[in-house]
Amino acid sequence: MIDSLFLILSLFALLGAIGMISLENTMHSALSFVVSIMSIAGLYALLNASFLFMVQIIVYAGAIIVLILFMIMFLNIRQEHAPKEPNKFPTMLVVAIVLIPVNYLIFEAFSKMPHIEDFSVKIDGFGDIKMLGVELFNRWLLPFEAISILLLVALIGSVVLARKKERE
Amino acid sequence: MIEASFMSYIALALVLFSLGIIGLISRKNIFIIYMSLELMLNAINLMLVTLSKYFGSMDGQIIAMMVIAIAASEAVIFLSLIVAMYRLKKSVNIDDFDTLKQKGTL
Repeated sequence: MIDSLFLILSLFALLGAIGMISLENTMHSALSFVVSIMSIAGLYALLNASFLFMVQIIVYAGAIIVLILFMIMFLNIRQEHAPKEPNKFPTMLVVAIVLIPVNYLIFEAFSKMPHIEDFSVKIDGFGDIKMLGVELFNRWLLPFEAISILLLVALIGSVVLARKKERE
Repeated sequence: MIEASFMSYIALALVLFSLGIIGLISRKNIFIIYMSLELMLNAINLMLVTLSKYFGSMDGQIIAMMVIAIAASEAVIFLSLIVAMYRLKKSVNIDDFDTLKQKGTL
């Protein structure tokens, strides 16, 4: 059951990602990315990360993708305004060939890790909101505060960048 | 039959990350470059969550949540920069965004 779910979700994640980088229309590309994001959310659920599953759907599919789609519609990017990319697929092929040895190296490094028989957690309530919150507010308190300052900086920065210049 | 083991998740994350790099290098549309960046962040998140399950510790999931927060703030800054550049150049082609190379138009 888990295996077939993993296969379906990973297939959709890969298809969404391939569609995202290869489709011509920006809008189709963004909608294809939604498929990929939702499949990755499902994979989080398979990995016992129930809170991250929700966060992925709310933050990525709910906020970031909607913001991208809104921006594409707001700037009114049509097919004829999109940049011409005549040698897109040859470049992709070259980059893919270059990346194969790198991926092989990382994969080999991971396969040297000690093998565990059943890939399942024994801890009760692993990955739910309570356990994550307890960890976050005890051992990870300082990074959490730094992240909140980062979000504030991003808020102010976006307002500064996107407003119109008053003078000139 | 492929089983949902540790290595299959790692392989999936590696392939997704590579697809992100491929999109980042080969496309010229700034939106698709941005989505490729997001795909790479997602692949790294998937790897972190997998390692979190492998080691039975919550640290990977907490780092993944911080990566999501950073991705959200990155989205805000990136999209407002796209709007600012679009106002200036009326284009989403990254080849037009070379104002730092020439004498200032900004």
